[in-house]
Amino acid sequence: MRKYIYTLIALLGFATVAFGAADSQIWGEMRIQNILGYGQEESLKLGAWFTFLQSKYFAWVFLGVLIGVPTVFFLHYKIVGQKVFPHSHNKHYAFNLFHRTIHQVAAVSFMVIIPTGFIIVFGDFFGGGTLVRMAKNLHGIFTIPFAIVILPMALMWIKEAIFNLEDIKWFMILGGYLSKKKRIINATQFNAGQKMWYWVCILGGLVMILSGAMMFFMDFKIEMLHNLTGLSHIDMLRASAIIHNVMGFILVAVFFTHIYMAAVAIKGAIHSIITGYVEEEEVKFLHNAWYKKLKEKGKF
Amino acid sequence: MTNSFGDIQNAKSIFIIGCNPAVNHPVGFGHILKAKERNNAKIIVIDPRFTKSAAKADYFAQIRPGTDIPFVYGMLHIIFKNGWEDKKYIEDRVYGMDEIRAEAAKWTPQVVADVTGVSAETLMEITTVYAKNSPGTLLWAMGLTQHTIGTGNTRIAPILQMALGYMGKAGGGTNILRGHDNVQGATDMGCLSDTLPGYYGLVEGSWKYYARMWGVEYDYIKSQFKDASWMGKPGFTLARWWAGVLAGKPGEDAIENAGTNLKALVVMGCGITSTSQNLKIQQGLDNLELLVIADPFVNEAAILTNRKDNLFILPSATQFESSGTVSATNRSAQWRYKVVEPLYESKADQDIMFELAKRLGFYEEYTRSMMMRLKSDGHLEMTPDKKTFQWPEDATIEISRTLRTIGMMGWTPERIKKHTDNWHMFDEITGAGKGDMKGEYYGLPWPCWSVKHGGTPNLYNVDVPVSEGGMGFRNNFGLEKDGVSLLSGKGSAPIGSKVDGGYPEITKENIEKLIGRTLSAAEKDLCGANWKTCTSGKLVDLALEAGLTPYGNAKARAVVWNFPDRIPLHREPLYSPRPDLVEKYPTYADKANHFRVTTKYATIQKEKDYTKEFPIVMTTGRLVTMMGAGLENRASKYICALTPEMFCDIHPELAQKNGIKNGHMMWVHSPAGTKIKVKAKYSYTVLPGMVFLPFHFGGFMQGVDMTGNFPAGTKPYASGECANTVVSYGYDIITQIPASKAGLCRVEKA
Amino acid sequence: MENARMKFYCDESRCIECDGCSIACAEAHELPAGIARRKVITIHEGIPGKEVSTSIACMHCTDAPCEQVCPVDCFYIREDGVVLHDKEKCIGCGYCLYACPFGAPQFPREGIFGSKGAMDKCTMCAGGPLATNSHHEFELYGQNRIAEGKVPVCAAMCSTKALLVGDAESVSNVIRARVAARGGKGFNSYGWDKAYKNQ
Repeated sequence: MRKYIYTLIALLGFATVAFGAADSQIWGEMRIQNILGYGQEESLKLGAWFTFLQSKYFAWVFLGVLIGVPTVFFLHYKIVGQKVFPHSHNKHYAFNLFHRTIHQVAAVSFMVIIPTGFIIVFGDFFGGGTLVRMAKNLHGIFTIPFAIVILPMALMWIKEAIFNLEDIKWFMILGGYLSKKKRIINATQFNAGQKMWYWVCILGGLVMILSGAMMFFMDFKIEMLHNLTGLSHIDMLRASAIIHNVMGFILVAVFFTHIYMAAVAIKGAIHSIITGYVEEEEVKFLHNAWYKKLKEKGKF
Repeated sequence: MTNSFGDIQNAKSIFIIGCNPAVNHPVGFGHILKAKERNNAKIIVIDPRFTKSAAKADYFAQIRPGTDIPFVYGMLHIIFKNGWEDKKYIEDRVYGMDEIRAEAAKWTPQVVADVTGVSAETLMEITTVYAKNSPGTLLWAMGLTQHTIGTGNTRIAPILQMALGYMGKAGGGTNILRGHDNVQGATDMGCLSDTLPGYYGLVEGSWKYYARMWGVEYDYIKSQFKDASWMGKPGFTLARWWAGVLAGKPGEDAIENAGTNLKALVVMGCGITSTSQNLKIQQGLDNLELLVIADPFVNEAAILTNRKDNLFILPSATQFESSGTVSATNRSAQWRYKVVEPLYESKADQDIMFELAKRLGFYEEYTRSMMMRLKSDGHLEMTPDKKTFQWPEDATIEISRTLRTIGMMGWTPERIKKHTDNWHMFDEITGAGKGDMKGEYYGLPWPCWSVKHGGTPNLYNVDVPVSEGGMGFRNNFGLEKDGVSLLSGKGSAPIGSKVDGGYPEITKENIEKLIGRTLSAAEKDLCGANWKTCTSGKLVDLALEAGLTPYGNAKARAVVWNFPDRIPLHREPLYSPRPDLVEKYPTYADKANHFRVTTKYATIQKEKDYTKEFPIVMTTGRLVTMMGAGLENRASKYICALTPEMFCDIHPELAQKNGIKNGHMMWVHSPAGTKIKVKAKYSYTVLPGMVFLPFHFGGFMQGVDMTGNFPAGTKPYASGECANTVVSYGYDIITQIPASKAGLCRVEKA
Repeated sequence: MENARMKFYCDESRCIECDGCSIACAEAHELPAGIARRKVITIHEGIPGKEVSTSIACMHCTDAPCEQVCPVDCFYIREDGVVLHDKEKCIGCGYCLYACPFGAPQFPREGIFGSKGAMDKCTMCAGGPLATNSHHEFELYGQNRIAEGKVPVCAAMCSTKALLVGDAESVSNVIRARVAARGGKGFNSYGWDKAYKNQ
């Protein structure tokens, strides 16, 4: 898995960036081929697909995510409610300063990238112009800190993020979050939900960075991807736009979940990433496997 | 151009050889495309490259550069063999076709295929199509002329037209496409070193006529020359002026210039940095004592030279900042109105000339005739009370009363302006006027014999009366040769002619006999010795009344007994890619005193087998975005965005063999030892054995960037090597035009 | 001009890649470097029987896909079918380019890190939403020749009259006459079907 991540990072590094090329592939000799290729039988019809999806669905799906996911959690809050664990004085220092800094940089990036993303998606609602243009630029600018921390973040938590058999059980009961009852969940430091968030955030994040950069710079070209897919540059951009949107739905939905879990579902859980200390009771119930290991080592 | 662009729409077949109108005449090419649509005209393109014109052609033959004569002889061979020639036309109107027939017999399709590289089948197909789709028009430009045998090329083309009877017909003729704005006008005005304006020869009679028409004494003109003998000698040409500067240096050709070298050069509106042997041009510029350049943009001659002193750049006005007549490629005139006053300190060309004349002390003589008018008796007199001349109208009047040989007598400023102002009242195809303009052709294409004549849209057309633009061929070379009459046969005079058949040019002597009546004494008094110098216009009027062409009605000459080649003959280029053919088709012997310079032919060709070191055929040409040396085009950022740098069209096969990548730099070496560094552009328009170079770039010399010499703010958006740096020795035997189209080179990865 | 549908047609039998249209366009609208609202392209250059040149710009499509995908809705379609956009609304996201079958939308590199500025494309010489023939309109969209009753500059300049522009009926008539003269051959223009499929 790590190899994959390295490959993706390397791809970014080897990207051939051609700024200011007057005759980029899009407008140069390839233009006719691009035109001919548009919607042809044997082609992927990416232009037509993009037009169809963007004009009919993308904005609605985003609206669905924006309203739907919080609604579900609101209902969960009302019906199942918050899990509250007594906070004794036993804490474990699980997240050191490095962990927290990396996380916070990513967090701040997300706090900007996601709302600005919504502003772009609903650009017509905001009337276009300066505000939306600024949102677009911020969307791009705040990708930079995220792009910087994504690799260390991936590396520092990868060990904890590898799925195991226990995770199947976790999924089967959705970590026990559907019942008010406190149950002991046999999860390691990260439960399956957190692991899922890790992979969506890291892999999805990389895809978002890559597809976003392609669209942002337009002539940002990665030869390897072209050779791999056989797509023309313009079709690569179309694919980027589709992927960026679809991945956006998932990332946003899971991001909302992450926020809800940390800030609402378990009272006070958010403090652990601020101070670095996790509460014994929470660990005992929700991450029992980790708890046992920590106990063996004489922590708490 | 015997006909006009519009008239091409009447053609049933269009034979394009040695020109690329889709690139060089995009607007004119519209007429060719319309002929294809209107008439289903067959477009035939003969070219070493698959040009943009070829892309629109029905038939295409990829010929080796410099083998046009064999190709046309091959066509004539087939034509004569099948009896497709116009026998009556040849009999009545052509002199010496038998010699052509004999030569054509040698050029079987197999021989032609070997020499030209065009298969016998293609030759047969093209000949058949061209002979069967009458009338056919023939187009050429620099692709025919810029060879050592350029004159032969330009003779064989009309011979083909005459064999098929296509000359002197709507939809036929030879249409030579002039490459520059008003270049036809410049030629007519005598920008040549071997004629006076209007193609009057360098003979005493002409000088005396001009002295009269300029209002100066003949002796005054004579006194300007070293002695009277120099009045009859052609001067240097644009192609080899530098030989006049460099003569005497080791390896340079000898000159005959009254014992002195050329010392000063004034360049007005000419891209002299893009003619062949560019390195010699640089050396010539360096060795002058004085160099003056007048151009709207900084002429690269000023950049290319290493001289630091006695170099003057004068800003001259563009065409938008001056007015006057301009001649189109079909010999018709337009009035060009001034749009803006000359910008900044720039001056119109004539004003620069006037200032120069003032300082050299002949301003009064120079401008005098513009204050004069012809009286009805043909005498030129000062106009009383006229204190100053009016530019350019007075100059136009001077032209129209003086240039009689080509019939500019009808070109008054008033008429030309009226045509220009009413251009919408003329037919697109025939040029014929409607309504108020009825009876006149747009721009009064010369010959326009008198102020009442409407111009001649198609030359040598005997199907219409002379008064409506009919004419035979010119009687210019005597009445008979070796016992054969040079006058045309019976029934070949323009409609309505008093004389049925041929007749000599009109003189005072023969006018009464030709028109069949006796003139009164008063009438006789008005007649000059012959129609060309009869300033009253009486002889021309009398001829026109009788339906006669003033210059006579003679046969066209297929045989030119006073040329080195009596009939056009194939001769291999000096640097031939086929050494095996050189012996059979050798070039000329060296020619001494060719426009004052000894010009080498056989010496160069026989020196060695060049193909060992220089195996690649090289040709040059134009781009659609540029003109000539490209100075004004490279000053446009939008044009430079399309053609930002000098390049070389090279077939991918040849490039890869030499390790040259598309878009990478390459060297082109010439047999003269010069080289240029250019960008390689893979192209399938050239064959794998040849390269193509556009000649519009400048500012670099053999890899050295000279653009630092541009005065601040005058550097063009694009600069590059000039193709002509690697165009080697070679000049036409008659005209001395550089042989730039068929060269050799070697290519190398840079 | 009541509800006449304006269309472009490039007659490939006539286009000779003289680049007159693209230069005329750039000069007339004083376009910045790197922006080519109209471009002439030749494919299969040098290959007999296959070489084709054509001039391409925004085709002002029926059901313009650019208009459909724009997230800020900056496009508007005039009654005569001319597809225009509001540069002051445009955010330079590039979606219109992805949707466009013709590669028509152009982007100046003027945003942050040389990213895309507001989109620029052929206006059929009809300007933009600003006051007609105002200086501001010229700066952003170039000349408004339509408002002056003039033909779009590209077609006016076309040396062989390959590039046609006008209401659908007039353009069709010219093409029909030409195709008939060519014996039914030579109806070909990249994009014609794609752009105007429904009408």
